[in-house]
Amino acid sequence: MSREKRRKIMAIASGGGHWVQMCRINPAFEGLDVFYVSVDPSSVADVPGRTYYTIRDVSRRDRLGFAVLVAQLSRILLRERPSVVITTGSAPSLVALGMARHLLRARTIWIDSIANVERMSSSGAQARRVADVWLTQWEHLSGPDGPEYWGAVL
Amino acid sequence: MIFVTIGSMFPFDRLIRAMDAWAAERAPETELLAQIGAGAYEPRNMPWVRRLDQADFARTVARADLVVAHAGMGSVITAGRFGKPIVVLPRRRELGELTTDHQLATAGWLRDRPGIHVADRDADLGPAIAGALARRDDDRPHLAPTAPETFIARIRQCILS
Repeated sequence: MSREKRRKIMAIASGGGHWVQMCRINPAFEGLDVFYVSVDPSSVADVPGRTYYTIRDVSRRDRLGFAVLVAQLSRILLRERPSVVITTGSAPSLVALGMARHLLRARTIWIDSIANVERMSSSGAQARRVADVWLTQWEHLSGPDGPEYWGAVL
Repeated sequence: MIFVTIGSMFPFDRLIRAMDAWAAERAPETELLAQIGAGAYEPRNMPWVRRLDQADFARTVARADLVVAHAGMGSVITAGRFGKPIVVLPRRRELGELTTDHQLATAGWLRDRPGIHVADRDADLGPAIAGALARRDDDRPHLAPTAPETFIARIRQCILS
């Protein structure tokens, strides 16, 4: 099997602005094997022809929700076995990056939301530990020890 | 039509109350629709829905003359994609409207961009709406449908490496 065929991308984002920002980088996946994960079943309309999974939208304090989320992500990750996981946030995506890295040794990319102008989001700050590529969309938040700045969705 | 949206299900009654009060005073021909999420306050002076799915949300923005929203990137980017002027009222942490004050920062950097009007306080909504409607033909946000090519190229290169 060629290297190209083994590369599978999971693009995951929470709803609202996180998902809208993911949609703006969709051309980066053109012609590649990508599937999507987000929290609103109706978001499938934004990615016609692609596989789309809905996960539970959880906050950190929601313990039952967290257990459901981990079960959903396990099922998706073991079924699809992505080699790259990319996200524009937030909390559920942080869990997904950690699981993908430990279960599948996937390469992980965190793009902090452009809404975080003054500091990284709290999930974004924690993502340092699970992201191979750790990005902010604001140059003034980048530093020699990360996060890096590669540009922004706007 | 003016589309009022809190951008999610997370309540933002301050915006809905203020817009309902504005709606009571509006010219009768001004059509309104409000998306109020899980808020406790139910508008009396304008039609409302709790939520819209993604496609209906986009269709409603496309049909609107003006969007009035929280200062969330989903609302701002969607309005920009359809070239619709937007008035934003940032959610505040101290009022329990969000867990951080990042919408104040968002409003700060969006301020003065074409077609984007920031209402810092509830009382600024009316004047911001009047200003946005008066200038709506020559002051619209313009946003390419996708991220800049250089950013996309760098992400793609990283994925392919």
